[in-house]
Amino acid sequence: MRQFISKQNLISWLRQQMEARQLVAPTQVDDLILFRRIDRVDDVILQFQNTATSPKEWLFPKTETLFHVERKDGKAELIPAEIDGETVIFGLRPCDARGITMLDLPYLADPADTLYRQHRQKTVLVGLSCLTACPECFCESMGSGPEDTAALDIMFTEVRDGYLVQAITEKGRSLMPQALLSPAETVKPPAPETAPVPSEGITAKMRQAFDGPYWGRVADRCIHCNVCAYVCPTCYCFDVRDYTNKGSVERVRSWESCQSPGFTKIAGGHDPRANKGARMRQRFSHKLLYFPEQFGPLHCVGCGRCVRACPVNIDIREIMQDVQRMGAPK
Amino acid sequence: MSQTAQIRQAARELLQGKAVECVIGYERGTDGVNARPFFAYEAAEADRLIFDQTCTHDLAKYLLNRKGKSTAIVVKPCDSRAINLLLNESQIQRDKLHIIGVVCPGVVERRWGTPGAKQLNACQVCQQHTPVVYDTLVGQPVSEPAVADPYPDVAGMEAKPADERRTFWEEQFSRCLRCYACRQACPGCYCPECFAERLDPLWVGIRIAPGENEVWNTMRAFHLAGRCIGCYQCEQVCPVNIRLSLLNRKLEKDVLGMFHFQAGMDAESPPPFSTYQKDEKLGIGE
Repeated sequence: MRQFISKQNLISWLRQQMEARQLVAPTQVDDLILFRRIDRVDDVILQFQNTATSPKEWLFPKTETLFHVERKDGKAELIPAEIDGETVIFGLRPCDARGITMLDLPYLADPADTLYRQHRQKTVLVGLSCLTACPECFCESMGSGPEDTAALDIMFTEVRDGYLVQAITEKGRSLMPQALLSPAETVKPPAPETAPVPSEGITAKMRQAFDGPYWGRVADRCIHCNVCAYVCPTCYCFDVRDYTNKGSVERVRSWESCQSPGFTKIAGGHDPRANKGARMRQRFSHKLLYFPEQFGPLHCVGCGRCVRACPVNIDIREIMQDVQRMGAPK
Repeated sequence: MSQTAQIRQAARELLQGKAVECVIGYERGTDGVNARPFFAYEAAEADRLIFDQTCTHDLAKYLLNRKGKSTAIVVKPCDSRAINLLLNESQIQRDKLHIIGVVCPGVVERRWGTPGAKQLNACQVCQQHTPVVYDTLVGQPVSEPAVADPYPDVAGMEAKPADERRTFWEEQFSRCLRCYACRQACPGCYCPECFAERLDPLWVGIRIAPGENEVWNTMRAFHLAGRCIGCYQCEQVCPVNIRLSLLNRKLEKDVLGMFHFQAGMDAESPPPFSTYQKDEKLGIGE
């Protein structure tokens, strides 16, 4: 059954969450809207299209310590990092929440990434369904949609004077006090439509397109920055480095991307993916071929961030169209 | 004839006559509004080329991927300075290049899906509307306006107290994702191995965190002192809108003040940081 929460009650609920645990929500930073830790409920933005960067950094941080090694009584002791405290992420768009199910596939598969699993267990995901779609949104073609509840514990849908509330999981229900809710009298507003992208059968087509000259042509204009991967809600690659300080060692991981020049460099200096075209093909093959072959779904949720943020307009929608149009290789 | 038509004609002739293998220019992007870089290899592709106020990219950087290959390139006046910078630093060969210079009225800020309404900061203080180097000129040369203060934003920053500047930059750098889009778009950044990716020994940590972000951004700025051409590409491509041009153009301004040097105005003047004169003092030890 759907329930209703007034805007005022939603704000009190957010305040309660902020006092009980870390609250992360969209907020204005200069001319950007970003997910940030909230210290004043008034800073939470309730009306926005989507944030400039994805919320993945709250589950898969840009930089994170994996463990410390300390020397104690002549022996080395490994101290794994622990995630303290709980977090509520409020204001996730359905595509971004669907993106978290994509991070789950590699990171929770046995053996699970222990830090990611801890973040996941200690985080409550609260969604805000979309009432409008941007021209670059294509979630519906990628198995998601403006009302998708995948990964979410609670979903809010804005209506007149308040929000419809859908507590989806046990965790979500336990956090939503009945006293703040009333039976919903308003009907759910219609979901917006997103422009279709030809994703059907793309995996087989990507296999056929592997050796074509196409990737080199697209890569001509790629500047090989990491913007697409870093704004993406599903990209999950990282680099690892040890920091040493007077006998203690800290192992750190940070985001890294297949577009950066040294990503595949191996011992001895060889880089099997040295040319631009091979790097470009890797990005789209991972999203549309390798990931679906390994885990099932396409590795893109159609949030449109890379489309908007790419400095040189490398557009995954156009790439899918082009690959679909290619004939079988001779 | 429009600038687009002139560029198409020049490109078609160059490709047809096999004078060059490739013409680097602009075509319309997928939002239907903005331009994006385009590489034409066949004469038939010349008709995809365009030029208008959304042609914001500095295409000169792409020449580094085509070393030794005959290439024609469409440049705005600021991009033509990037070509001089690269010629001066022996990164590209002039005889392999055909430069299609465009007289530029200024370009607009790139905004996805909507025509940019605001002229790019760089264009508001532009003193170079005709390319400084070209083989084919598209458009009629114009007389250059006298701009009293080409660095109003930098001067505004300089006037602020140190702690205010510190707070400003700490906040700006805290957002940095170290995606390196600024470096990748910059015509002056072409080291085969960037100090930020030098792993043995490690110069800058891999952490995407305030301390490392600050080292990354300030060191990059210092590497561009006397080399920055003020094209604003770094700021344009930043996904989190860090005001990088304020930092990089501060050094451009200082070099202009101290050495009366502006990068890329010609391909011959020795850059201040590659030369040494005995009487240089710069106030050190005075």
